[in-house]
Formats: sequence, C-alpha cells, structure tokens
Amino acid sequence: MENPGEGTRTGGSLAVSCERVSFSYPGSERPALSEVSLGLRRGEYVGVVGPNGGGKSTLVRLLNGLLRPDSGRVRVSGRDPATEPFEVRKHLGVLFQNPENGLVAPFVEDDVAFGLENLGVPRQEMQSKVARAIQTVGLEGYERREPHTLSGGEKQRVALAGLLAVEPEILVLDEPTSMLDAAGRREVLEHLQALRTEKTILHVTHHLGEVAGADRILVLNGGELVVDETPGRLFSEADVLRENRLVLPIVPKLALELGLRPAKLRTPEELAAAILERTESETRTV
Amino acid sequence: MTTRSLGQFYPVDSLVHALDPRAKILATAVFVAGLFLIDSMAGLLFVAATLAVLVAVSRIPAGTFLRLLRPVLFIVALTVLIQVFFSREGVTLVGWGFFEVHSGGLRQGFFLALRILLLVSSAGLLTATTAPVALADGIEDLLSPLKRVRFPAHEVAMMMSIALRFIPTLGEEAEKVKGAQAARGADFSEGGPLRRARSLIPVLVPLTVGAFRRADELAEAMESRGYRGGEGRTRYRELRFRKADALALAVTALVLLVGILL
Amino acid sequence: MRLELRAVRHVYARGTPFEVEALRGVSLSVETGEVLAIVGGTGSGKSTLAQHMNQLLVPTGGEVLIDGVDARSLEKSELRRRVGLVFQFPESALFAPTVEEDVAFAPRQLGLGEEEVQERVRESLVALGAAGLAARSPFALSGGEKRRVAIAGVLAMNPEVLILDEPTAGLDPATREDLLALILGLRGAGISVVLVSHDLDEVAEVADRVCVLHDGRVRAIGSLADVFYRDPSQAPTTVRVASLLKESKPEIGAPVRFAETLEALKALPGV
Repeated sequence: MENPGEGTRTGGSLAVSCERVSFSYPGSERPALSEVSLGLRRGEYVGVVGPNGGGKSTLVRLLNGLLRPDSGRVRVSGRDPATEPFEVRKHLGVLFQNPENGLVAPFVEDDVAFGLENLGVPRQEMQSKVARAIQTVGLEGYERREPHTLSGGEKQRVALAGLLAVEPEILVLDEPTSMLDAAGRREVLEHLQALRTEKTILHVTHHLGEVAGADRILVLNGGELVVDETPGRLFSEADVLRENRLVLPIVPKLALELGLRPAKLRTPEELAAAILERTESETRTV
Repeated sequence: MTTRSLGQFYPVDSLVHALDPRAKILATAVFVAGLFLIDSMAGLLFVAATLAVLVAVSRIPAGTFLRLLRPVLFIVALTVLIQVFFSREGVTLVGWGFFEVHSGGLRQGFFLALRILLLVSSAGLLTATTAPVALADGIEDLLSPLKRVRFPAHEVAMMMSIALRFIPTLGEEAEKVKGAQAARGADFSEGGPLRRARSLIPVLVPLTVGAFRRADELAEAMESRGYRGGEGRTRYRELRFRKADALALAVTALVLLVGILL
Repeated sequence: MRLELRAVRHVYARGTPFEVEALRGVSLSVETGEVLAIVGGTGSGKSTLAQHMNQLLVPTGGEVLIDGVDARSLEKSELRRRVGLVFQFPESALFAPTVEEDVAFAPRQLGLGEEEVQERVRESLVALGAAGLAARSPFALSGGEKRRVAIAGVLAMNPEVLILDEPTAGLDPATREDLLALILGLRGAGISVVLVSHDLDEVAEVADRVCVLHDGRVRAIGSLADVFYRDPSQAPTTVRVASLLKESKPEIGAPVRFAETLEALKALPGV
C-alpha cells in the first residue's frame, strides 16, 4: 500500500503535490482540509471520493489557486497556485460540476475559445486549436449552437473542449457527471477515458464506479486523507467503505458478496462470465 | 426547449443583415441625429420612403416590422391629439367652443408623429437585422477607444455577452420556479396589483438567490480558465469592415442631407 | 386514488415554427399505494408527462382522470393538493427565511389553521430526516439538506399521489439511499409515488411497475420483470447480469431487486 505523502518526497517528478495542507473557510469551526499530503505523478489517473463536506471541492480549488491554503504547500508542475495562479492555470484545467454555469459565451465555439483568448493567443492559432478541441469531444457541427439548446452531456463536453483547447497537462474533474443523466454521464466518461493516456487526471466523484479503473483512489473524510489505495484493495474492504459512506456500484457489490474480485469486474458481462466460470469449474470438479 | 431568437432579431439572409454591426450602429446614430435636423414634411417623407425600401431589402415581413411599432402607437396618438387640439397656428378648420382644430396643428401633429415613428423604426431595423451578439461586439468595438479615458469598455462588453448568454437560461429557470410554486398552491393571477406583486416573492427570491449563485460559479469557472480582465486578451470573433459597410454609411448620410435640404 | 391518463397528447408552441409534439398519445394509470416508475431518455417526454398529472399542463388531446373524473372539472387548488409534484432540482425554488416557513408555504396556501400547518411542517420534516433544520435558513444548507426541505415542502400538502422528478439527481450516495427509503415508506403509508427517473438501478430497488417512455409514446408498461427482461439491453444492472446467465442457467428466474438477484446468484452451483 502506498504511503500518503510518499510521493511528495520525490519532489520533481510529481505533477501535483500537497504537503500537509490545511484550510478552513472563514467563519467555519471545522477545517475543510486538515494536514492533507498527497502526490500525483505524471500520467497518473487518481480518483478522489468521500462523503459530502469531506474536503473534495476544497482540494480542487486549492490546486488551481481559487483558494489559498492556511498552511502547508501546494505545488502544480513545480509552481504555487496561490502565488502564480495564471501560470498554473495554463497547466491545470478544472471541469466543474454544473454544466450550465461553466459556459460563458453565447456560442459554442466562442466558449471553447475563451481560455485561449485569456492567454492572449493570436487569432490564427486560436482557430485551429478550437477546431481541434471541438473535434476531440465529438461536437463537430455544434460551433454556432447556443448553450441553452444543448443537453447536459453536450454542455459538459463543450466545457471539456474549452479546457483541452488550452492544452493543459493536468485535468482536475470536480464531480463532472453528477448533474447529468445516464446518457450524458456515459458521453462524458467516454471522452474522459480517451484522455487517460495523455493527461494526468484527478477525478473527484461520488460514484465509485467511475474511478474503478483509476491507478489509485484517495478517500477524503472530514477534511482528512484517510485512504490512499488501489481500487482493487479499496473495493474489497467493506468496513472502510462503510466508514466513509462509500457505496459500491452494483456489479462490484454483487462480486464482493459472491466472493469474486470486485475491482476486476465492472460490467455485467464481466460478472456474468466470471460467474459462469465458477459454475463450470464446480461442475467439472463434481 | 425552443430556440427563439432574442428580442426582435429576425434571422434571415439579406444585404442589411450582412452589414458590419458597427456600420449599422453608426448609421442608426447618424440617422437619429439627422431626423431632428429635418424640418420639412417633404424631407421626412423622403427619408421615410428610403427607410421603407431598406426594410424591404432586409427581407423582414412588413407585418412583423409594423408590430415593432406597436408600443409607441399610444405616444404617437397622444402627440397628434395634443398638436391637433392645442395648436393655434394656421387656419381654423373646425371649432366647437373651446376646442378648435387648426390646419397648422394638423400638419404639426402628423410631422411629429412621423418623426417618432421613424425614430422607432430605425432602431427597430437595427435590432431586427443584427444578432444580439453582433450588436454587443459592435458596441464593444465602438467603445474601445474610450479605454484610453479609463472607460471599462471590455468589462461592459463582457457583461453584455454574459447577459445575452444567460437570458434564455434564466427564462427557463423562471418558468421552472413558477411551476414549482404553483404546484405548492401559489396563485399568481388572483387579487389586486399589490396582492399579485406579493405573490411573486416566492418566485423572485429564489431567482435572485439563484442568479447570485450562478454568478459565483461562473466567476470561478472564468477565473479557472485564466480570465483576468481585458489586459492582454485577444479576440476570437472578428469584425471586418468592408466596402459595403462604408457605402451604407455614405448612403445614410446622403439621404439625410437630401432630407434636410428638402 | 386512481390517476389515469388516456391518450394524452401535448403540443408545445402550437402554430409557431417552433411547434413540437412532446406527448403523442400516452395512456397509463397510477393505482393506490403503488410506486410507478417512468423511465426514458432526455426528450422522451417524462417531465411533460409529470406536469400533466397535476394539471400544471393541460393536454392538447386526450384526458386526465382522477378517480374517473376529468381533472379539468376539478378545482385546480384541490387537484394540486391531492397530486403533489416535486420538480427536478427542487431546491432552486426555496425562498423563505427559515426552513419552517418554506415548508409551511403549501399548507398555508391551502388555508389550513396555523396549528394544523405547524403539525404538517413538523411531520414532513421528520419524514424527510430534516427535523433539526427547522430554524435554519434554507440558503445555508448543503445540497442534500436542501433537497430534503424542498420535498418536505410538497409532502406537507399530504398528497395522495406524489410525483418525484429525478429526486436523487446530483445527490451523494448516502442521501440517495435515504430518499429511496422514504419512497418505500410513503408507499407503505398508502401514498402512491410516481418516480420519474433515468436511473434504472434506483427504479429496480423501489418501483412496483414501470412505464418506458420513448419519443412521447409508451413503449412498454408493466411489472419490472416483464418490462426489463423483454429488453435487457435497457435494463437495471441486476437484470442485465441475470439475463446474461439465463440461457445457460434458466433456474435463475427473473430477479430484479438487488437482494433477490444476489440470492438467485448464490443459489447457482459453485457460486
């Protein structure tokens, strides 16, 4: 099992690191984050889960400089988001939860260009980057659409395109699918999965199933980092799941109850195959 | 759900629609100023005829365009009536005791009425042929020289753009909140004006609070995407002034000149 | 109370270039004390359908019957009291200075005496697990707490039928489970629940019958097992797993709920 904070000792190879970071919202008695240490290596896909109010959203905002920690160090690509937010935001993009309130411009392509405009990218260059980003999220033909005519999934994809246009190495996803319906969720997750190999991703979510394929899962509860494990281990630890009010999706849950390996089985097909195998091996030995 | 265009914009392809919004805004401004310099009926009628031709060229159905004038009909009627009944110029045409109708009054009444109609028509033509977004762009561009005197042209333009983006969204939200309160027994149609105003509280409060929350989240998103005001910002959309636009401005000026001289 | 829709049609923006037929002849009924789920993708007409049940929308064609009587002939306020509708993301309609005040809105609109109103407020908040929030400002609550308060606000009308449009949207798993338990509790108390949802797993846990809506029409309606096993590609996870095993292990039957699916799987040899 990896030690929380172990990654931070290797310093330079980390895309994102937090060293004993604490933060309290003004007027609040409890700290939102308390001495949290974590590290993300380049190319890693890390999930962050935990009960509401556990500090997940606060973490996201500390990473991109919207908030400044009360104590401790935050480093993104070697920079401090609190003192160099503009620089950090070139390298770290955040996809927020509410698809509606992330879209600022009256047309899709203008919104996708927003980040590039902020960076002062020349118009010629912008056009090709916008086109490429729109293509990456599968929204060709939507350029002149108005945001309010789009479905939730489409809106999130526009927001994603807007992030990708700036070409950050790190993506932080703050519950990107929680306000979407099943179809929208599928759309967005598909495109996020496709980015896995090229980006470093921190994925905050309520749905454990979404990060079943992550390299690691961090559990934040009451402002503390309580677990830092692979999905395989986490999914089989029923008491840890219960303590942190984490709910396994149905397939891993069935797998766990049937004595099969919950993290390896994600789809109904995989579970059915595993069950068949069990029954066959049983009949074979009989 | 619906994709109604905002306000009075009528989306068709026409020469007028294709003009640069800056040219159209300037032309309208010049037009409005010029209208006040015309003092003959003939001049006004000439200008009115030209405007009618423009409306035809813009391919906006006459009926739709005339509907734009509806809000001012009351004022126009009032103006005419005041002039007709209270002016003592010219020859008396009819008289019943205190009320007298003079030819001068009649003429003046129609003159003023026509001017008001032309004012509203020119503004109406502008908004009907220019998409709100283009209008905002045009205004931003025209105001940008004012940046030198510290006028927040960029911020004003950004506000307009965001407002345009969210108006349909807020509209849908309003419908939803109304429906939710109606489902809880709220009735917006009963009682006198004071009662009705009060019954809107359960709609206005959530909408206002919601709008603030939205603004908060939007600001976070904008900041996260590197927004830090207008400094060093480039623009994706481009406004290009073409010969047709210069021509349009020249024609407008000429028409007005003729009107003034008439 | 029996709520029935007969060949209901709904056309938005009739006569304009933006005309759209959201419901094309929907017939279904909601029986007393049952949980009827309405499922379908975006654009299937689910929300439009929900708004017909309490006459927020009036059908362009067809009729809505309450215990056999045309809903249009009933007093609107009476109808809205008997059929409660909770919109999606209902917390966006919270407006009063305190939670109590907000939940009291509907009972007060009904003209009930102050004592009765307070009683209803208390009961509803307890039912939603939000009793401790009574004196707080609704705007200072967490998302899950707001959701509870908003639902309590409609429950305070003591409706006979409660329509919930995506009640668990955007919620964390813990609050979700609480709400699902509430739905079962309501059913136990004799209140019919219409659950409009895109989450089939949720439907599998609480619904008695399901109506699948597609493109404004009813594609299927019946018991969960009947409807879902007929087309397992659009079914709850439990059904999908079981139906994959059906061919080689027909003894698995047609389980829908998690518990019965687990049992059926455990009963297989070797598992």
